Amino acid sequence: MKTLLDSLMVNYPYFAAMILFIIGAFTVLTRSNLFKKLIGINIMESAIFLMFIAAGNIRGGAVPILDKANPKALYINPLPSALMLTGIVVSVSVTAFALALIIKLYQFYGTTDARRIAELKKEVASR
Amino acid sequence: MTATIKSNLPVFVVIMPLFVAFVLPTFARRIRLVEGLVTATTALGFLGAGYLASLILIQNGNPINYSLGGWSAPWGIEIQVSNLSCFFLLMVAGVSLPIALFAADNMTHEVGGPQQTTRFYALYLLLGGALAGMAVTSDLFNVFVLVEVATLSCCGLVSSSNHPWASEAAFNYLILATLGSALILGGIGFLYIITGHLNMEFASHELNRVWQGYPHVVWIAASFLLVGFGVKSALFPLHVWLPDAHSAAPSPASAILSGLAVKGYAICLIKVLYNVFGIALIQDFGIHRILTLLGMIAIIAGSVFALTQDKLKRRLAFSTVAQVGYIFLGLGLANSQSLTGMLFHMASHAVIKSGLFLAAGAIIATTGKNRISEMAGVGRKMPITMAVFTICSVSLVGIPLFSGFVGKWHLLLGSLEAGNRLAQAVIIVGSVLCAAYLFPIIRVAYFEPTPVADCRDPGLPQMIALIMLAAWVIILGVVPGPFLELAKRAAIDLLVMK
Repeated sequence: MKTLLDSLMVNYPYFAAMILFIIGAFTVLTRSNLFKKLIGINIMESAIFLMFIAAGNIRGGAVPILDKANPKALYINPLPSALMLTGIVVSVSVTAFALALIIKLYQFYGTTDARRIAELKKEVASR
Repeated sequence: MTATIKSNLPVFVVIMPLFVAFVLPTFARRIRLVEGLVTATTALGFLGAGYLASLILIQNGNPINYSLGGWSAPWGIEIQVSNLSCFFLLMVAGVSLPIALFAADNMTHEVGGPQQTTRFYALYLLLGGALAGMAVTSDLFNVFVLVEVATLSCCGLVSSSNHPWASEAAFNYLILATLGSALILGGIGFLYIITGHLNMEFASHELNRVWQGYPHVVWIAASFLLVGFGVKSALFPLHVWLPDAHSAAPSPASAILSGLAVKGYAICLIKVLYNVFGIALIQDFGIHRILTLLGMIAIIAGSVFALTQDKLKRRLAFSTVAQVGYIFLGLGLANSQSLTGMLFHMASHAVIKSGLFLAAGAIIATTGKNRISEMAGVGRKMPITMAVFTICSVSLVGIPLFSGFVGKWHLLLGSLEAGNRLAQAVIIVGSVLCAAYLFPIIRVAYFEPTPVADCRDPGLPQMIALIMLAAWVIILGVVPGPFLELAKRAAIDLLVMK
């Protein structure tokens, strides 16, 4: 038990990422409001970004700018952060596109609730 | 000049469609020019892919490594043209060319004005570029980026149809696909954490050295990647977005989505599983058993669902779910025969399903009817369209002398080699079910007496596209020769540990 707690204390960013990921996935899969689904997606992606950035962090590491006066300095790993910039760009474009689709759906169905849209669609199909 | 192009060809086949996609909207006022540019780009892509494939065949399958920006492997991003990449590149180019031809003329009434049509083409080329990228990339993070480019352009293609149902289908697709890409990114993250590399070769080397220290992390990474790519390539229980999205999209978009996009994600999964984890690790962890089981369930369930659909495009979409099952089954059996069969089936299904969707699109466009029961007599009014539909159906069922047979034959040989009785039964039952859901359409179209009102075969470019796809089906079936050879070599490459 103690070792589990200890490893949790050391690896808390991963733990936080896991909890965020579960919250996000749960929101996406259980909420019927389209906006909430989208928010869930964003929470989930933030969890992954957090995990990546935590993986690049080195305790006591400095900003990774080469310091010629101090060649033995400890730097954090800049690669995951750089990759996550790309990840954030992707996530923003997904969000923008999804919002545009929600606007289009709202204009046609007059609601942003996935269940209500499914009902309306059935009514149209049965007519 | 030619020397520069030749030495940089691996990156040109990826960059060119992407570049043209971004330039395209500036020509929106001259729609003929746009169509010409798109066709020329896909045709050039085909030539490039053919040249690369011939180079690889001459080199006896030695891969061409290309370092982007001159930074070599562990630091820079590497592009690798191997047998597998050539195979997939040829498949992408060979199918996207007829689809681009078919789309000319046909798009304006399915999507709207020239502005929308141009946007459609831009998305089409983006998807083509992303798929070509998936074929050649050997960098894990690039896989994620290309998967995202492909996903967003797929969703855009689905929603490009004017119908609000299309927007809804696109939204559902987008949400599930983004869930999938978050899982993929997570999986790649776990691999990066334990190996410290993003280049597939280096990551594989490191992973096979250190995995015993972190078996749980490897498990989590594998399951994240499997579920992530499973959602995207519509593996059976995760396929829920596919029927809506593929049937709501405009027909050329359905063709490329069903024919190629789904396989792009499958190729990424193959690369990650076989090039990073490696066959030894797959077998140690039993991943191949999961793949086989899921594949078998997908074949049966997808076919049964397809049987119950009355809308033509929905039936074809469910058929894709079943055929994706064959891909996963071949992946899971994990011997050289089954992998050859899986790759060949992938290519032949790409051609067949594009042909089926385009023929269906031509029928729906001229008759305005999308239910199979209303298609009585279409075969007599639209002889060539329906002939192509018939050739493709017969091939998908797996009758000898058509391309579907070669793939299924090798899959069957693979399952014999693996000694998996259940898989043999499922492959054969899948074929029977495939006949059961495709042949009634042909029967209704040719032999039902009531002729539909006025309809005739589509215009010349569409006819050329349809005939081209039918020709691919027959050529691949009668003389699979070099293409099958490429698939065989790719399968052997996958099984060799580096």
